[in-house]
Parts: sequence; structure tokens; C-alpha cells
Amino acid sequence: MALGRTGKTLRQMRRDNAFYLAMAPFVVIFLIFSVFPVLFSFYLGFNQWDGFSEPRFVGFENYLRALNDPVFQKAIWNTIYLWFWSSVVTVTLALGLAVLVNEYVAFGKNWFRMVFLLPLLVAPAIAAIILRVFFTSSGGLVNLFIGSITGTPSYFDWLGSQEWIKPLVALLVVWRWTGWYMIIFMAGLQSIPRDIYEAARIDGVGRWAIFSRITVPLLMPSIAFAVITATLGGLQMFDEPYVLTQGLGGTNNSTTTIGMYLYATAFTQFNFGLGSAVSWYIFAAVVVLTLSYRFLNQRMREGAGA
Amino acid sequence: MRKLLANRERRINLAITIALFLLSLLFVLPLYWTSVFATRSLQDVFSFPPPFWYGDNIVRNYQNIANVFPPFRPIINSLIVAVPKTIGLVLVSALAGYGLSRYGRAPGHRFLLAMTFATLFFPPTLALIPFFLQMSAFGWLNTFWPLIIPAMASGFGVVWMYTYIGSTIPKELYEAAEMDGAKGLSTFFFVVLPIIRPGLAALAVWTLISTWNDFQLPLVVLAEGSRFTVPLALTMLSTTHYSDMPAVMLATLMGLVPVFVLFALLSRQFIAGLTSGAVK
Repeated sequence: MALGRTGKTLRQMRRDNAFYLAMAPFVVIFLIFSVFPVLFSFYLGFNQWDGFSEPRFVGFENYLRALNDPVFQKAIWNTIYLWFWSSVVTVTLALGLAVLVNEYVAFGKNWFRMVFLLPLLVAPAIAAIILRVFFTSSGGLVNLFIGSITGTPSYFDWLGSQEWIKPLVALLVVWRWTGWYMIIFMAGLQSIPRDIYEAARIDGVGRWAIFSRITVPLLMPSIAFAVITATLGGLQMFDEPYVLTQGLGGTNNSTTTIGMYLYATAFTQFNFGLGSAVSWYIFAAVVVLTLSYRFLNQRMREGAGA
Repeated sequence: MRKLLANRERRINLAITIALFLLSLLFVLPLYWTSVFATRSLQDVFSFPPPFWYGDNIVRNYQNIANVFPPFRPIINSLIVAVPKTIGLVLVSALAGYGLSRYGRAPGHRFLLAMTFATLFFPPTLALIPFFLQMSAFGWLNTFWPLIIPAMASGFGVVWMYTYIGSTIPKELYEAAEMDGAKGLSTFFFVVLPIIRPGLAALAVWTLISTWNDFQLPLVVLAEGSRFTVPLALTMLSTTHYSDMPAVMLATLMGLVPVFVLFALLSRQFIAGLTSGAVK
């Protein structure tokens, strides 16, 4: 009986042998360069290793050490701050733009679609360089501008300031990503049937009510998608703060993110175990947020169906 | 009355369009200024009001970059990484996407499909440290290999091609091809590939641009300045020669041009690619 089933499976496998050939390149490369490193990282998290001497098993020490490190605590706070503000501003701005362009702009819609997307083509590192030039303390455009308004030359050190560096990093994210979310929302708006709007307008529903009661609820799948991608990116933020602070994390680690903390422990202090432990914290955060997103999504769908 | 209302509405529309237009200019202003500063002298850049139009100092600025590194070297390096990686990624993804889409009944299909989707939620950061150690063991550090070969297996690319092939190729086509005597893989190369060209193009543009912009992985893997890709070389230049703003801006502009040319040629595919991910 069991033999019969094995035989059937084997026959099916031989018949569909092209399936395995087609999957082989992906699976082989993936096993070697992704699965193996991830398993190895799990092992490293429980060891102390500088890359040269023998690895030493230390149990949960790396995980505890990271939690007790004030710099890591600060990095968690910074990451949450940057993730929250950059996502909220980007998604809100993109939603507003998408609706406005869709509803009010009669001609040249393509112009808006293109222009807001251009910053996304600029590498985060390059965008950070451009921002640095504009915000340099001596001779930066922003200071020159302030100086000409107030009449006294300004030499304010924006990038060294603990209060301003985080908003500047967030600004960079907003500048790069708004156009992308706008395009996603515009595609979502296309899928809302026009006659719903017609009916609402005939019934005399106001524009704000149309937006908040019809557009936003019907656009919820796109908004949820935008929020989850912004979250996945935000948790791993590295390029923008790294280049903006020239790898140092700003004065007093004011914009060191978890990703930067991981990079510093592994590649400047060569503490590979601690760095791996940190990467598993990032993974845990991603899993928790993704699952809660799926849970909320399901609840919302059930709610809509009822 | 109706006409009056229509007029009022038209005026509101126009006002909002103009406001949006001004906002869109604000979004491109940094890029425009980058290109203006690239052609100006140091003195112009530090003056107020800042120059709004192009100057004639571009050759001097170019020479200033050339004193630090050969200005086209990073661009060539980025091409050496991005082009083979993109071709490989698109082919590997299309093959796997074809397999997953056609052979739904093959043993192991469900597992491989679930695994592919699961990879989308694995943060790349998780593998960064062990990947570095692995590359060091392979003797691949400070070469382009770590940026090309491993990246060819992309869960994102496979999911993309899987959905694309599933929605463009009818099952009957496979049966017809089979009757004509085409075996599995030859069906892929001679029947499927020509049909899915738009999907391949979209994935290719997306991959090229994101590879061009990659920063963290090259930073970890490449050590020698002569191997630096565009973002790395520019970061180095902006740290060591931050006072020479026009030269930094010119180098930045040079690093941006290839991406913008690509976008100008293939923006339709690029945007189609963006939205196809969101439909799911």
C-alpha cells in the first residue's frame, strides 16, 4: 500500500521533472547564500566570536547584553521614532496627494505621477549627501537663507544637533518614498467604482465626508499594504542615518538606529555574536508586526463582510 | 446657477492644480539645484542668493573629482555589478515562477511555494553578518561576486514572476505545446519567455535601479576604493572633500544620470511594476 503511494509519487516526480529543473537554480542559490547564513546567525547569537579565535558558547548573554546596553536602548527608541514619523507623514502626504491629483487635476496627471516618483530613483546614500550639502553649518543653503532673513549670518549645526538630526532623517525618507505610495494609492483609487461617488454627490454628501467615509475605507487594502512595507523598511533603516552622520550616528548617538548598532558591533568592534543577537531582535519585531497586521486585516475583512 | 457652480468648481480645480504643481517643484528642487551647483564655482555656491541657473565651471569641477578618483570608475563598477545580477535574477526568477505556476501537482510544490512567500518577510539584515563571514571564507571579499551571484535568488522576483505568469499564460497553452512535442523546459524557453517579455522588463528595471542604489551590502563587502560602486564612492568623496561642494554635486549628478536615463526610457514598465506588487 505504502509502496504503491511512493511509486505514484515517484512517477509523478518523473513526469514533472521539469518542475525540479526549473526550481533548481533558485533553490540552490537560496540554500547556500540565505538559508545557511540564517542558520549560522542563529548559532552565532549564542556565541562570543571575533572571527579569529575559537567561538565560545555563552548562552543568552549576547541577547541580555544588548538589552542592557544604553546605546542599544537608545537605538530602539530612535528606530521607533524614525519609523513612526516617517511612515505617518509619508503615507498621509501620499494619500492626500493621490486623492487631490485624482479628483481635482484635469490635465497633466502623468506629470505628477513622474515628478513625485523621481526622488525614489536617488539612492538613499546619495539623497543623504545632497541633504548634507544643503544643511552644512557653514555655507549651507539653509543657513544662508536664514542668515539673509534675520540679517545675521547663521552657522547653526543642523547635522550635529541632537534635536534636528532625526527630523532630517525622516525628511529624507518622506522625500524619497511619497511618490511611490502616491502611485499605489492612485492605482487603488482606480479600482473604486465611480458610481459610488456619483450617488454620494447626488445625495449631497460633502467632500470631506466622501473622503473619510467612502475613499479611505475602500482604500484600506492599499493603505494597509503601504503601512506594512513602510514598517519593514523602517525597522531596518540604515543608509540614510549612516550617510547623513558619516557613520557615527550623530551627536550622542541621537540617530543611531538598530541597523546601525548592528553594523557597528559587527564590523567595527568585530563582535559577531552580539551583532547576530541584535539581528534576531529585528527579525522578532518583523514577525510580531507582520502577524498583528494579518490579524487586523482579517478582523477588518470579517467586519466588512458582516 | 448650474453654470455658475461649474465655473466655481473649475476655479477650485485650477487653484488646487497650481498648488500641487508648486509642491511638485519643491520635490524636484533639490535635484535641480544639484545639477546647477555641479556647474558652478565654489564662490558661486557660497553666495546669496544662491545661483538658480547653470554656470561654466563644470570642467574644473570634473578635474577636481579626477584628482580623487577616476570619475567614471564607480559607474563602471556599478554596471559590472548591476547588469549580470539583473540578467541572472530575471532568468532565475522567471524559471522558478514558471515551475511554481505550471506544476501545481508536483510533489514538493506546496512546500516550495510557501517557502518562497515566507522569504518575503525575512529581513535581509538577518543574514548580513554570517553572509560577510561566508564571503570571507569563500575568499570573495573585496570582489564583485558577493553582490552578483547570491542576489540572483530573490523571493520577491520569484513571487513577481509566479503571479505574472499565472495571470498571462493560460493552462491550455501548456497542453498545446505538449501536443506539439515541446518538453517542460523547452516550452519555457520557446513559448513562455517570449510572451512574458513585459513582465521581465518590469522586473529588470526595478532590479537595476535598486541594485544601483544598494549601499549596505557593498559597504560591508568592498574594501578597496577602486572597487567602490556609485553610492560608496560618492559617500567617500563627500566625507573627504566635503568643502568642495560643486565637485561633490557633479559626481552626484554623474551617478544619477544612468538611473534617470533608464527611468526615462522605461518609466511605464517601472510604474507598472510598482503597482503590480500592491494589487495582492
